[in-house]
Amino acid sequence: MRPFAYERPETIDQALSMLSADGDATRPLAGGTDLLTLIKGEIVEPDLLVDIKRLDGLSDRIEPGPDGTRIGALVTLTQLETDPHIMQTYGALAQAAGKAATPQLRNMATIGGNVLQRPRCWYYRESEIPCWLKGGDTCPARDGQNAYHAIFDESPCVAVHPSDSAAALIALGATVHLRGSDGDRSLPLAELMSPPTEDRRRETTLRPGELITGYTLPPTYGKSVYLKAMDRKAWAFALVGVAAHVTVANGAISDVRLVLGGVANVPRRATAAENLLRGKSPSDDLFRQAAEVALEGATPLKHNAYKIDLTRALIQRALSQATA
Amino acid sequence: MTATMDISLDEDGKLQLEEHEGVGAWPKDRRFTSVGQGAHRLEGLEKVTGKAQYTYDVRLPGQLEARVLRSPHPHARILSIDTSAAEALPGVHAVLHHGNTEPIEWYNGSFVFDPTLRMVGDEVAAVAADSGDIAEDAIRLIRVEYEVLPHVTYFEDALRPDAPHVREGGNLTDEPTVYDRGDADAALQRAHVVVDRKFTTQCAIHNSLEPHGSTASWDGDDLTLWSSTQSVFTIREQVAEALGTSEHRVRVIKHHMGGGFGAKQVAWKNDVIAPLLAKRTGRPVQLMLDREAESLAAGNRPATWQHVRFGADRDGKLVAVWADIHIDAGAYQVGGEASNVSGMYQSLYKCDNVHTEARNIYTNTGPAVAFRAPGHVEAAWAIEQTMDELARKLGLDPVEFRRRNYSEVDQLEGKPYSLPEGLSLSYDKVTEAFGWNTEGRERGAGSKRRGLGFAAHDWIAGSGSPPAYAWAKLNPDGGLDIITGTQDIGTGTRTGLGQIGAEELGIDLADVSVQLGDTALGPYSPVSSGSSTLASIGPAVRGAVNDVREQLLRLAATKMEVAADRLTIADGRISVADGGGESLSIAEVMADVAPANLMGKGVRGPNPDDVAIRTFGAQCVEVEVDTDTGEVTVLRVATAHDIGRIVNPTLVDSQIWGGITQGVGFALHEERVVDDRLGRILNANLEEYHVPTIVDIPEMTHAHVGVPDTRANITGAKGVGEPPLIPTAPAIANAIYDAVGIRVENAPISRQRMLTLLREQTTTTNGNGVTA
Repeated sequence: MRPFAYERPETIDQALSMLSADGDATRPLAGGTDLLTLIKGEIVEPDLLVDIKRLDGLSDRIEPGPDGTRIGALVTLTQLETDPHIMQTYGALAQAAGKAATPQLRNMATIGGNVLQRPRCWYYRESEIPCWLKGGDTCPARDGQNAYHAIFDESPCVAVHPSDSAAALIALGATVHLRGSDGDRSLPLAELMSPPTEDRRRETTLRPGELITGYTLPPTYGKSVYLKAMDRKAWAFALVGVAAHVTVANGAISDVRLVLGGVANVPRRATAAENLLRGKSPSDDLFRQAAEVALEGATPLKHNAYKIDLTRALIQRALSQATA
Repeated sequence: MTATMDISLDEDGKLQLEEHEGVGAWPKDRRFTSVGQGAHRLEGLEKVTGKAQYTYDVRLPGQLEARVLRSPHPHARILSIDTSAAEALPGVHAVLHHGNTEPIEWYNGSFVFDPTLRMVGDEVAAVAADSGDIAEDAIRLIRVEYEVLPHVTYFEDALRPDAPHVREGGNLTDEPTVYDRGDADAALQRAHVVVDRKFTTQCAIHNSLEPHGSTASWDGDDLTLWSSTQSVFTIREQVAEALGTSEHRVRVIKHHMGGGFGAKQVAWKNDVIAPLLAKRTGRPVQLMLDREAESLAAGNRPATWQHVRFGADRDGKLVAVWADIHIDAGAYQVGGEASNVSGMYQSLYKCDNVHTEARNIYTNTGPAVAFRAPGHVEAAWAIEQTMDELARKLGLDPVEFRRRNYSEVDQLEGKPYSLPEGLSLSYDKVTEAFGWNTEGRERGAGSKRRGLGFAAHDWIAGSGSPPAYAWAKLNPDGGLDIITGTQDIGTGTRTGLGQIGAEELGIDLADVSVQLGDTALGPYSPVSSGSSTLASIGPAVRGAVNDVREQLLRLAATKMEVAADRLTIADGRISVADGGGESLSIAEVMADVAPANLMGKGVRGPNPDDVAIRTFGAQCVEVEVDTDTGEVTVLRVATAHDIGRIVNPTLVDSQIWGGITQGVGFALHEERVVDDRLGRILNANLEEYHVPTIVDIPEMTHAHVGVPDTRANITGAKGVGEPPLIPTAPAIANAIYDAVGIRVENAPISRQRMLTLLREQTTTTNGNGVTA
């Protein structure tokens, strides 16, 4: 780990002016559960960390309202896991937050930073191994040890996004609120998270110096679940995570969002499967078909074909639980 | 009685020394007061309050921190090394490498700083600086030019004709080790049923909580070395030799240990580099490995490939055991306890026709070293699954099949076991405690299938052996000091030895102190390996305290005007055995002669030569397999081990819970992953190398066998550290077969593997599921 400076500004505007100064050399620090591992692994080497954890104007509250629920960027995973309103109304988010990492990490980790985590790919995380995502020419995971990698080929990189909560947020229709030196903007979280490209080798379209200030979850009359498969029973990143959010009216599925984690560069919305499900009566057979449709186009690598079976099983189980 | 010596000359004119404790085994009907109690650890308070001093906690005036530059290449030669920028960095006191140090021979003819590097993680240079951060900065400033050489990562590839050689002479460490008893090939031809399978076990990392490391401090020519080690005397010997000094110039201290699991039996390079840096700088130097270095260069349980052919006759008699074994040695043979994969094939079950052959194969990866029950854990995976499959083919209950192939003698040496019924008692106790019932068991519902599995084991070393010594010192106030050179590797050795001493003298454990872990203060004790510490040192402690006891009784007899042989000691009071009621406390007797001390010397007597001493055991496991998601849940484990007299049931249980936990990790998710193109370990951390968490650990039951092994040694106790791990993984695999009809040949049983096998099963059975 190389030395860096640390600043704790008072207001969000002060923070933004520091962050906009020189791109990647300045990084915002909230829970730090991802950033510190990147710094210690010498994957990022910032000159300045701007502590935004106690920033005036950045919320750490969950605020239900008539137009939905506002979740501040500094809300911790522990808050999401234990908040009665989130547990009751947005079950998938409480479950996803609760299945992440360990209690100690969940106490620190914030939902703003959570969706901005970098991949846990073991080639990416080893500073001495060049990889495409770190600016290299090729992705060593494609022909390497790729049991934990993507089954949907969406970019030169085959790393998967580590966030559980992001899949749940997208399934719940979250809007993300951003503030940069140019002002505020809001967009669906699903649009912020996007596979890396040749010119943008990261998993979000966040602009330089921009901060996530929070999310809005629309009101829901549906039920949502998040299921996660790990290599052990706790404290592991998802092999596959599935978030399902389903509204059933008059015996038929009136609204559905199905999001797959651990299978692609970013949480993958299974739109074709949603279309198949919408308007139909819930049944095991329907869920089986939906799972097949959701997995169309998957191109597993040498060591991760098992993720097809795992994803199929979790989709069916999640839909079944969300319509029970 | 005092210890005695038998001295003789053997045929070659070499001196033979046999020492005797001077006291016999405790009688089976003895009413124990201290031994058998679940006493708290003597050092427990120190540990839970953070006061216990581990190697890392040593802080000496002027102490420097050291860091090591490690090879980024699996095979390379150093062409040039430029340390000028590192040395110029303020706060840096010394940079050592092969170019500025005398060559010191290390394992396999290599050197501590060797210009040829044979694995990622090999030591290139070391820096001592005012702080670890400065040392790390300095490491980054060292410029090394490497000539990268061809490497071989996987042992499966290392014997191919075109494979790069790890060192001259090829990739076999030695000639194959071949053992034959009878004619296994011929017996396989005649067998009624044969199982022929190829099993593999993965490379596993010890991951002790406390990493390897040393703190070195010179006072003139005298070195004090705090080392995280399982053998202070081995370190003293090896470090003295490496530094060209005498053993009495080297003092090695190990007060507390955060785990070793076999990886800390020998001196590692840190034990020499820290003293070299300390000498060069004139300051104390601490060199601790980080978690990554632990994974790269501090030992591992070697991966194995085992081709197994077992045959049985119609009556369920095992007629042939045949195994061809390949073991990944890594880049070096570092010494210590050997990983004998062949052993359990030759001994666990009665069989007249046995063939084993084993090859150790070099690769450009981290070196193999003993890891809790080395060889046995790997072998059990193959043997116990093969036995399970044979039992099924014969239509026999797996326990019954094992009973039909029971040996009461060590088939290698032809001697009866010291407790011939030890394994049979383990079968009885474990099946009873578990409720082993293959007929009426729960099978599960839907995608969640349940199954039961059984596995057994033997273990060769839990009996302990000489030489080992202890001293006892009775103070004027009646308190007892026990002093020995052994080390407590975290198992509770202090407490167990204290209980033996308290028992022998007839006093409370609170009146005993145990001093250990220091070569300068205690007499020689062997390495703590093979689950042998208590059984090696316990008898010496008993002997030393018995020596004190006899001296004390002579004093008391004079004061009380009775014959010494009429006196007994209980609860710290000396009284006449057959009535009278008169008694004196030990302190009252000692007060008359204060400040005189009574000093006792204890030795470890020889093991009997007419019996073979082994530790046997067996485990029952219940698992649940989710056939849709491949999730395996170990629901419960019951275990029984023939460990002789239990000195402290709490500490024994601690070993059992820990062993089973490591077994669950080995069975389901622990695996070192290496990229063969790069020769790099990809999961050299605890994030991606998955040890079990608290929720992975099943319900566990320890069924006491509870029979002292009075032939083994004068305490009747045998070691328990390693045995509980041996049968866990194959018992889980057997339970998985019972649940879903899939034989998992390759460990670990990860999601990836389980789902792949479930998929193959569905494909081959047209979706009918269970084939069993």
